[in-house]
Amino acid sequence: MLTLLALPLALLSQQQGIAQRLAGRVSPNVAALVEQLATAGAARGLPSDPLIQKAIEGGAKSIPDDRVAAAVRLVAMQLDIAAAALREGGPVSDTLAITAGAFALTAGLSASDITALARVGASAQALTVGLRVAGTLAALGVPSAEDIGLVSTTLRSGQPAESLLLLPAHVQSAVAKGSTPAAAAAGLSRAAAAQARQGPPPGHGEHPPHPTPPPHPTPPPHP
Amino acid sequence: MRPGAEPKDGDIVRAVLAGEPERYAVLVNRYRDRYARYAARMLGSADAAEDAVQDAFVRAYDQLAQCQQPDNFVGWFFLILRNRCFAERRRSRAEAPLEAADSVAAADRTDGGAETAERRRALQLALMELTPDQREVFVLKHVEGLSYGQIAERLSTSIPSLKMRMHRAYDRLREQLREHT
Amino acid sequence: MSGYDFHPLVKQLLDGDLTLADLPVELRAEGEEALRLLTAVDRRPVELPAVTQRVMQTLASRPAPAAPLPPVPAWKRVMQPREIRLRIRPWILAPALAIAAALMLWIWPATLATPKPPSLVTVRFVLVAPDAREVSLAGTFNQWDAHATPLVRTGSTGVWTATLTLPAGQHQYAFVVDGERWVPDPGAPAVDDGFGRRNSVLTL
Repeated sequence: MLTLLALPLALLSQQQGIAQRLAGRVSPNVAALVEQLATAGAARGLPSDPLIQKAIEGGAKSIPDDRVAAAVRLVAMQLDIAAAALREGGPVSDTLAITAGAFALTAGLSASDITALARVGASAQALTVGLRVAGTLAALGVPSAEDIGLVSTTLRSGQPAESLLLLPAHVQSAVAKGSTPAAAAAGLSRAAAAQARQGPPPGHGEHPPHPTPPPHPTPPPHP
Repeated sequence: MRPGAEPKDGDIVRAVLAGEPERYAVLVNRYRDRYARYAARMLGSADAAEDAVQDAFVRAYDQLAQCQQPDNFVGWFFLILRNRCFAERRRSRAEAPLEAADSVAAADRTDGGAETAERRRALQLALMELTPDQREVFVLKHVEGLSYGQIAERLSTSIPSLKMRMHRAYDRLREQLREHT
Repeated sequence: MSGYDFHPLVKQLLDGDLTLADLPVELRAEGEEALRLLTAVDRRPVELPAVTQRVMQTLASRPAPAAPLPPVPAWKRVMQPREIRLRIRPWILAPALAIAAALMLWIWPATLATPKPPSLVTVRFVLVAPDAREVSLAGTFNQWDAHATPLVRTGSTGVWTATLTLPAGQHQYAFVVDGERWVPDPGAPAVDDGFGRRNSVLTL
């Protein structure tokens, strides 16, 4: 079958691309490790870019080889976990979404948080932005429940990606005015939920709706 | 294997041993919470459970080549975690399970209220006074909901000996709860 | 046997082999006490989300588990290679930096004056560093090259700036002060870089 023939050729040219990007920036040992992990990962549909980026970063920061190797392995694990978490939420195998999921893990979110966002059912592109924003919010100190609640409400409201991208800045300015990250996120959730209902009906004076509760992770099954 | 299918435990174990160690993370994620409750009730707190589960995963990784049935990784992992839970007892007898009270109390504001929290705490404290074997059979049956047959299979022991352990556990629990009420 | 022991029939009740109605009348009270004991059992699920990250970090620095070697015939003498375990200390960057807090300034898409294709965004980076001799910007957008993007010092107040046009997406970066000190942007969200430091995050 053509696809079977094409795969090894694609991997070969990908390997050459990786070697070029790493040449002169990382040691040969690290380069070999990255190529190995990238090839194995690509066969499972995982992106290689995050591995390459992390290796280059380590080289630029003059980090010893063994620490760079450990960091690259960590990224490889995160990509695996992110991919599994996304699959659990729906048929998503978009490499940008997987990269964004791995970033969310770095920022402190969990695999179930990623699955919860995937379950919202947004497009791959919106989900990717959602995951990036969720990770960024976590990096700002928003606890995961408020974080996922806010991002999923915004995703569900069907607004364009720009509204997601503005969330971190809104949280930062609320925090600068004295709010906690959690409270800031909760306030934005209420606003997003209100906007999802397209504002108050022409009779106004209505209470804003209750914020959408964050999705509860499913309890583990009996062993 | 087509991309997108969920890999089986055995496939992941074999892949790790064949030179893809980063794949192990999928197993960690898959089973991280499976025995968390068992560990928490055995050790008295979620914090202790976290340490035990973490240590068990690391040990399982180190000894992965000794896993006889890769397709039953989870059963093998349970035994490693079990050993780790039993070892904990020898480490820190002095530590009272204060975290049990805190973690129970924090969550109980919404379900059951203060009285339920207090009773849960009392029972957990009483459980910590049992031998680990007695506590374990109680936890597996009354927390995890396994039958005596399932427990016997998992621990490679007989149902009558389990019942003997359990019945002693019932008596000791009653004694502890009466003494401290 | 102390007076505390449950009656054997009550123990069968606890095991689930009998119901309360099966007990003789004089044991009902004890049976109810026993069942009440069971209602205090904490069956709530326990989640340990931190375990994944902590295990992953521990394993990332460990040698891979070795597949079992094929059995060696008794008549062959083979020196098995010994596994050398590296103990790796987490790198802790000395926090003493004589750099004042930077002003956070991003220009996000909604406030752009100049129209640009939707996939590019102009961003201004700022660091307040009165004592620095040079400051540059390194990140995923320039291969972390500490020499590629110098900041320019404006005026005499120690404010360093650079303006870049970047593709939409996610970027990580840090400032490099005097060619050797890597400093995250104090005004931006930060994540672990995997090397003991923090990177700043830019989500466009």
